[in-house]
Amino acid sequence: MTSDRIRIAADSVCDLPADLAKALNVQIIPTYVNIDGKSIPDDGKSLNRERFFRELPSMRSLPTTAAPSPGDAEAFYREILDDGAAHIVSIHVPEKLSGALNAMRLGAEAVGEDKVTLVDSLQLTFGIGFQAWAAAELAAKGAPLEAILDAIERVRLHTRVYAIIDTMVYLRRSGRVNALVASVGSLLKIKPIVSVSDGEVVSIARLRTWSRAERRLASLTNDQTPLERLAVLHIANRRGAESFLERIRDLAPSDTLVVETTPTLGTHIGPGSIGVATLNANWRR
Amino acid sequence: MTTHSIGGRALKRLFRAGLNNLSRNVDLINRLNVFPVPDGDTGINMFHTLQRAYREIEDTESDDFSQIAGGFAHGALMGARGNSGTILSQLLQGFADGLDNAPLLSDELFARACQAAVQRGYASVSEPKEGTILTVAREATETLQGQESGSSSLMEMLETLIAAADASLNNTPRLLPMLQDAGVVDAGGMGLVCFLRGLRGDRSPLQTSIAPNAGKLAAAGAGTESFGYDVQFLMIGQDLDLTQTRRDLEQLGWSVIVVGDEKTMKVHIHADNPAGPLDYAIRSGAALDDVVVENMTLQYQQSLVGASSMRGQPDAATLNAWVIAVAEGDGLRAVFHDLKCGAVIRGGAGYNPSAEDFIAAIQQATADHVIILPNNPNFILAARQAADLVEPMLARVVPTETVLQGINAMLALGDAIDAGADFESTIAQMSAACEEIHSIEIARASRGTRIGDLEISENDIIAIVDGAIRSASSDVARATLDAFATLDVSSLELATVYYGAGISELETNQLIRRLTKSIKGLEFEAIYGGQSLYPFLISVE
Repeated sequence: MTSDRIRIAADSVCDLPADLAKALNVQIIPTYVNIDGKSIPDDGKSLNRERFFRELPSMRSLPTTAAPSPGDAEAFYREILDDGAAHIVSIHVPEKLSGALNAMRLGAEAVGEDKVTLVDSLQLTFGIGFQAWAAAELAAKGAPLEAILDAIERVRLHTRVYAIIDTMVYLRRSGRVNALVASVGSLLKIKPIVSVSDGEVVSIARLRTWSRAERRLASLTNDQTPLERLAVLHIANRRGAESFLERIRDLAPSDTLVVETTPTLGTHIGPGSIGVATLNANWRR
Repeated sequence: MTTHSIGGRALKRLFRAGLNNLSRNVDLINRLNVFPVPDGDTGINMFHTLQRAYREIEDTESDDFSQIAGGFAHGALMGARGNSGTILSQLLQGFADGLDNAPLLSDELFARACQAAVQRGYASVSEPKEGTILTVAREATETLQGQESGSSSLMEMLETLIAAADASLNNTPRLLPMLQDAGVVDAGGMGLVCFLRGLRGDRSPLQTSIAPNAGKLAAAGAGTESFGYDVQFLMIGQDLDLTQTRRDLEQLGWSVIVVGDEKTMKVHIHADNPAGPLDYAIRSGAALDDVVVENMTLQYQQSLVGASSMRGQPDAATLNAWVIAVAEGDGLRAVFHDLKCGAVIRGGAGYNPSAEDFIAAIQQATADHVIILPNNPNFILAARQAADLVEPMLARVVPTETVLQGINAMLALGDAIDAGADFESTIAQMSAACEEIHSIEIARASRGTRIGDLEISENDIIAIVDGAIRSASSDVARATLDAFATLDVSSLELATVYYGAGISELETNQLIRRLTKSIKGLEFEAIYGGQSLYPFLISVE
């Protein structure tokens, strides 16, 4: 391994499956889920996602989530640098929603600021994942830092993340999206479609039924064609995600992924939701 | 000649006792609060103000009377909350200034400082209202003027002051009709009396024969649906000009109070648009601190509807259009508020809102674009007249004929705003949304009649589908099922049933069970509407 290599890092909210992250050589730092006084790293091993989401609705106190600590960040960066990296491009959950970037910044300062370039993805789930994916492919080819950062920016501009919220209960309890919650109201049962825009979760449509929401989600996905990549996302609703993928099969690239989102995000969104992350092929132009 | 005097340590104990006595009466004072906005927070605001005031002197060991009084006043200024809290802070500041740095309080000085307090209190409000805390302070102080210095002890003077304050407080309903209507004395005045009584050593909750009448309290606020925003902040800078600032702010709102000195000013203002005063303060070059913006309309509604039905976060700033809807029934009104309507006018069940009612609501708008949802064919004309009369303000009517259409229009408005649509296309989308639903209104026939083939007997349940009577039966479920039969339900997915006043959720669910048996593929949702005349209003989409 040469020592002038740039390595790509992201937090676990990026939702890249472990085998994909490994193949791309993207280093993942786990965020935390706090349940009953215990802080559990979202590393894909310590927390059983399926069980977590099954139990979430009946948990008496809603779990909370936490960014990695500055100490975690420092150790994480040190390990990557010790492994031979000359520089790290570290892509994270938006500063508007999480303290992760701040912790990563403190960690970066400890290892030498010139060693790490921090990126606010302004996105969530595969919206972060697509940025890390493109960056990792360029890094593997030995691309310079500027080219990698430029690609991240273009991928971001061509990415959309949409989700149907099955129940507002979790967003309401989360407290991170008050404007969204206010704009949806609480008396009528509304299935809002939300989007991640500029690092914030915003409501873009208020539907009264699930089937209408699905139709709208399909049409929103269609608006993003031609798709280079597509991830169909869900929280404890694999069947819903797979049946939605059938509906949009014509638009979907052959390597489309069906992914259950991280508990860190799922805690705030709640079980039942499905969504998409799209990457328009024109990002390369 | 000074025969009695006390120092700072004694004053600190007195202030502590005053604060304690106020704290025991916070709930009572809250309940009295009807003026200027019945938001039920006068007690807690005055308590927060005095609590912060006391914190300022808590750790001081000084026995200098003026120093303690000054510190307490400064703390009150920093912590002032609400109208009454702000005026109270000014009374305290005036009192402190009137001491001329004297280290001990004499009886002569006491009378002078009280007068200075009243002067400063009155000066802090652009339009002093009689029948408020100001009146109580002034009339109490006036009784001290007759007393010759040295003729009575400080405690005797305090007794005189309190007796006069009590009398003045009891007279406030005669000075302020709003208090008279609600059957209460002024809340701020009561707060001052509690504080003064605490100084004397009173420790028990205030015994009073005055019990605010909840119905009257509500009535005192009725007629005005919007109270705007309560905006408070500190301006910190150099050479701040109180008089000029107050004059400028009066252009931007009402109930303006500006107090403080050339370095720190506390501003309190009620405004339709909270951004106005904040923007003004920033532009003046001052630094802002301790900014508090409260939606008084929502506070008022919450005090009426109860907190449970208003869980939505007040965030009118996300909307750039101000919507006025007409609705009757507390549940339906809550739904419109929940969807971020600016104002909900009462209308229906025998009351037709006039153009004037609409104009009054439009004038309270906090956005330049106003949208009116009449929600009844009979109200559309008055709404249109009002919209024409308020030019050059931009007010448009979306001609909704039922509250159900109005609710769907509100959902469309949210989507249009999210999509960044301009005003015209927003109106178009809202109008289109009215066509996307069917309205079924279930009512009781007041007399027998015949409409086409339909024979209706008096007291029959009739179903009105999209404005036309389609079925009648002595049985609610039968009439409703017949109404659904006139629709092509195969293309429909959801029926939202708003149940009226006097109908229980249980009855509603029973109806829904019967409907579900016969109508397949339709989802039902029951929501409390609270409307009179219509046991059920059903939106089908």
